[in-house]
Amino acid sequence: MKVVIMGCGRVGAQLAILLDKENHKVTTLDINVDSFRRLPPEFKGKALLGNGLDENILKKAGIEEADAFIAVTQGDNRNIMAAQIAKHIFNVPKVICRIYDPLRRDLYSMLGLDALSPTTIFAQMLKEKLES
Amino acid sequence: MYIIIVGGGRLGYYLARTLLDEKHEVLIIEKDAATVQTITSEMGSISIKGDGCETAVLAEAGTNRADIFISVTGEDEDNLVACQVAKYKFNVPRTIARVRNPKHEIIFKKLGIDVTVSSTAIILEYIKHEVPTNPLTHLLSIEEKGVEIVEIKIQPDSKTVGTAIKDITLPPESILALIIHRDSKPSVPTPATILQAEDQIIAVTSPDTEDLLRTALTGS
Amino acid sequence: MVDKDELEFIKILVPVAGTTADEGAIELACRLCKSKNNRCEIFAVHVIPVERSLPLDAEDTSKIDAAENILNNIESIGQKQGCPIETEMLQARDIGSTIIDEAKKRGVDLILMGVSYKQHFGQFCLGDVIPYVLENAPCRVLIDHQLQSEL
Repeated sequence: MKVVIMGCGRVGAQLAILLDKENHKVTTLDINVDSFRRLPPEFKGKALLGNGLDENILKKAGIEEADAFIAVTQGDNRNIMAAQIAKHIFNVPKVICRIYDPLRRDLYSMLGLDALSPTTIFAQMLKEKLES
Repeated sequence: MYIIIVGGGRLGYYLARTLLDEKHEVLIIEKDAATVQTITSEMGSISIKGDGCETAVLAEAGTNRADIFISVTGEDEDNLVACQVAKYKFNVPRTIARVRNPKHEIIFKKLGIDVTVSSTAIILEYIKHEVPTNPLTHLLSIEEKGVEIVEIKIQPDSKTVGTAIKDITLPPESILALIIHRDSKPSVPTPATILQAEDQIIAVTSPDTEDLLRTALTGS
Repeated sequence: MVDKDELEFIKILVPVAGTTADEGAIELACRLCKSKNNRCEIFAVHVIPVERSLPLDAEDTSKIDAAENILNNIESIGQKQGCPIETEMLQARDIGSTIIDEAKKRGVDLILMGVSYKQHFGQFCLGDVIPYVLENAPCRVLIDHQLQSEL
């Protein structure tokens, strides 16, 4: 599977490493070159410096042939916009994005985006742990 | 009309000023408390502090009764999300977004934003108009009808100078609306009208056929 | 030394919100008035805040009724004290700036406000309106702070 991951923070890098180990073709994107330090030397995928909201960079990252696009930058709105570009402009089959704000997540889920809110998920997990 | 502006920077500030002068009800949503205070002390209580992308803030702003929602922050993604929340959550009839990267204009329109304004694109179009080698200028585009109004200049060395309009094959969906001659006199083109050097032709066309129209009228 | 005339309050604006603190402020205003042989004019205003989801002229009858009750109560205090009080009800987005506008419009030389002890997040709090009035008032401002034991 060809996967483009936008945002090489802790979550983005971790996901890139996991997928890379399973021999998927991974490209990570970040606007800060320092973020790529999170990728180990044995990482076989591509690391690309640039803004994931820029069509040219996305094309360079191979979005046109990608099977999946993941948006996990620090900005909810960046993730939302990038995910919509991937889904509606490049017709990537599987698009997932992170939206911290639960209300914004609900709205964009309604609008057809596959979005996860770490806030809701983690709060739910804590509650379950308390109750167990 | 009730107009909500997201972003109290210079653009939002002067927009609000002008709209207030035209007797509209205006509200600015701005993240920075100091900016809100400046606006309030100069224009009265027409500003609230908050993130224009948040549903709760937009609810407090009374977005449900807004006629126009304008997002003019410095970040394209924030403007997109603010307008989408206004449109899909609060059913605002008209949303307008400022776009920094002119390439985002198409994306924004595809994602449901009614109007996009890109100062880069506007200045670019203006420059194109001033460059003599570029005979076609966009004057207006009517998005929902897929129609645009363009201006085409006939260069003195154009092959079509001296040709009658009836002898030119225009692409479908293109209509010549007006000719402004070198002496500034406008006239409505008829089949017998003969193209002259430095004529400016105002035509209605579609984005897909504008290149064909340019070729037909300029012969190159 | 303060010029004596500056302390001659003739026109007094008393913003009222419907709390017990209002009554103290109105009684104080009446005393000031009587000390001047009833030469003072007292205006009591109540501002109904209108949220932005409604147009400014939206009529919320329950709020208007409540405001009328507040102002009737103020008038009856005035009658008991023997001072006529002019009352007014206003609708606005923002209370503080409306009070300031009203003070300017009527050319008052004193704004007298009652305040009761309040806590917000466990700390003493004056709210938004009083600091705004203190910062922007075109005239003198008296804050009548009620004793905590009265609450």
